[in-house]
Amino acid sequence: MSANSWLATGNFFTTYKQEQRTFLTSLDRSFFTLFLVLLFGWPLLFELSNKYMLVVDNILIAIVAVMGLNLVTGFAGLISIGHAAFVGIGAYTVASFCQTIGDSHIIVTHFWPVLIIFSGLVGAVFGAIVGLPALRLKHLYLAIATLSFQMIFQWTIQFMTFFNQGQTIYVGRVFWFTGKIGRKDHYLFWYFIILTIVILLGFGIRNLLKTRYGRCLVAVRDNDRAADAMGMNPGLTKVYAFALAGFFAGVAGALHAYVYRGVGFESFTLHESIGYLAMAIVGGLGTLNGSFWGPVAIKFLDLQVETLAETAGQYLPSSMNLATALKPFSFGLVIVLFLMFEPRGIANWWRIVKSYTKLWPFRY
Amino acid sequence: MKNKNFLTALLILIVMFAFTASANAGGKVYKLGMSLAITGPTSDAGNPYAKGTEDYFKFVNDTKILGDDTIDCTIRDDQYKTDVTKRNFEEYLDDGIVMYLNYSTGSTLGLKRDFDEEKIATLPASYHAGNLDGSNYIFLPIASYSDQLVILAEYVAKNHKGGKAKVALFVHPSAFGRGPVVDVEKAVAAGLNIELVEVVEHGKDLDNTAMLKRLMSKNVQYVISQTVQSPVATMIKDSQRLGLTASSFGEAGKLTFMGAHYTGGNDLIALAGTAAENFFWTTGFNITSVPGEGTTKQLALAKRYNRDQKAANSHNYAAGIMVAQVATEAIRRTKAAGLEINKANLYNTLNKMNGANAYNPYSTTGPVTYSKTDRMGVDMLQIYSVQNGVFRAVGEPVESEYMKKIK
Repeated sequence: MSANSWLATGNFFTTYKQEQRTFLTSLDRSFFTLFLVLLFGWPLLFELSNKYMLVVDNILIAIVAVMGLNLVTGFAGLISIGHAAFVGIGAYTVASFCQTIGDSHIIVTHFWPVLIIFSGLVGAVFGAIVGLPALRLKHLYLAIATLSFQMIFQWTIQFMTFFNQGQTIYVGRVFWFTGKIGRKDHYLFWYFIILTIVILLGFGIRNLLKTRYGRCLVAVRDNDRAADAMGMNPGLTKVYAFALAGFFAGVAGALHAYVYRGVGFESFTLHESIGYLAMAIVGGLGTLNGSFWGPVAIKFLDLQVETLAETAGQYLPSSMNLATALKPFSFGLVIVLFLMFEPRGIANWWRIVKSYTKLWPFRY
Repeated sequence: MKNKNFLTALLILIVMFAFTASANAGGKVYKLGMSLAITGPTSDAGNPYAKGTEDYFKFVNDTKILGDDTIDCTIRDDQYKTDVTKRNFEEYLDDGIVMYLNYSTGSTLGLKRDFDEEKIATLPASYHAGNLDGSNYIFLPIASYSDQLVILAEYVAKNHKGGKAKVALFVHPSAFGRGPVVDVEKAVAAGLNIELVEVVEHGKDLDNTAMLKRLMSKNVQYVISQTVQSPVATMIKDSQRLGLTASSFGEAGKLTFMGAHYTGGNDLIALAGTAAENFFWTTGFNITSVPGEGTTKQLALAKRYNRDQKAANSHNYAAGIMVAQVATEAIRRTKAAGLEINKANLYNTLNKMNGANAYNPYSTTGPVTYSKTDRMGVDMLQIYSVQNGVFRAVGEPVESEYMKKIK
């Protein structure tokens, strides 16, 4: 390790402890702290309309979900194409409480942090159950198993009257120490909450990856037989990877329920699952910061294409309905381009920028 | 020098006065918002619907129906996604809209509580009766899907020859499709003389042979649909291929197909071709294949704003015009009463739109009536049937008898 923790231009670890530090230099830590201050501070300085605050909240929720997906698909190498169903499990856990005890019950409105964690745990249980086929299945076969979970989830929600057959189940407005959170502050309030959760879970993943459990994930991904020979338990590792992903998804689902103040089936379809997978790919599979980049990029692209399609819809002939095709076309194109030209995702660009600035003014 | 300063000050004052005067002469701008599927699922209906609304508001502003005041209605595409609808609605609230126009059943149900919290009158394109449950601010433009299906069932009961008519319902697998089933069952329980043999929730089947054969084996003669055009088109084409379609209403041993608002229209004929012949359909809108004063005005409006023939002749274009007409009329009446145009006053005006104050837009088959206890606009629905490739009126507009009994 460099003697000067502020001006280190390379990583020269002399102990394992040094390698396991969250921030390699004081400069890293300072930048990160400043970044956090900015993240928490900007909404107090610049007032954003509810519309855009909702967009920001939505991105943060997607980040929580994609962090989970990245754990199971990126780090553990297990393809999951039913992630939206896990998010739905979290949302419908909150919805179940609302259906059973009423959406304005104190548990829903006052004890929402407990309910969010509980939704995560329910997601983890379902994740572990769905992860069981991973003991026997691999690759495409496992992907089909997760797809079938998505189908079962959709069918169950759409046909059970308890879940309102997929129609919206309302969630009451929550209370904070200052009282009931009204419409004016709703999205801003949830911004701070979700941001806090993102940071906590982000650190959680970062620390997990330094533990033996985290290293097991990567080892099983790279070669599960070799991992087995090294004394790891690949089966258990796969199941707990799914459980962890389920926890993250469950938390994301509960947050979705609270932010939208309702749970409807259409937010948790196969299309959404593919969307999460796209976010993970575009962001960078197997990287923590890829979980942040992906949702930001895809949601931003969505917004831009929406505007473009809306404008195009007014001018293109309605009989051909070309504007409708713009969104899936651009979405597919972005994924294909990333897979072809930057399979490591935006996270790789970030890595390049970081290594350049770290070594600057030297080239290597 | 003093004179020069004085002249400059005078000039500035004149310019300021001119600007102030022109601002006043411009009248007030009333903001409205609309969110619907211009692209994505159901955009075949949403696209002409949006055009109808847009054109009518343009017409209102161009022809000064509200004097110097104008309506600024922002229309946004939500791609049939409730999440996006919610975002659009939040944007409109920030913009200070006084009335809101929504689209799908899912998003109307999803945002129902928001409409009540914001106390904003909302006119959706969804005629799902469940929209009105526990809501004070949703106003259905025409009678609900339940009314539509019960009216068709009543028509079957009245015109079927020989015993009790055996009926099957063919519905969309969602609240939009399932909602009216309960009401049809209630109507049957209340004495409507039909036998409800089966309720089929369709999937995305490309072939309905098995279903149609099953219905025939149960001696079903009438299939009433509550869904969108494409599954109906698939079903009636299969029926034609199998030789099961009745050539006239209620032909024995054959199937007569019927459907609610979103199953019919020119799009169904375009999709199903000759298989659409003798399809019975009900809606609350005038259609251009049955010419009248209303449809002439509709076509003139479409021509004025350079719409293609497909949009101009769409019943969804008429539906879009209708909600714009109701919103405009509510603003006009509120203004005439000397009241400020705001959410509360428009809501009250809509509630008074009944009796002698009922509103007769040219786009509908009957008057629009609302009150605190009646949130369905047009109660009189027209039954149409396809004859020689176009929809023709069957009798006069009717109101459901059994819906009154079961409410």
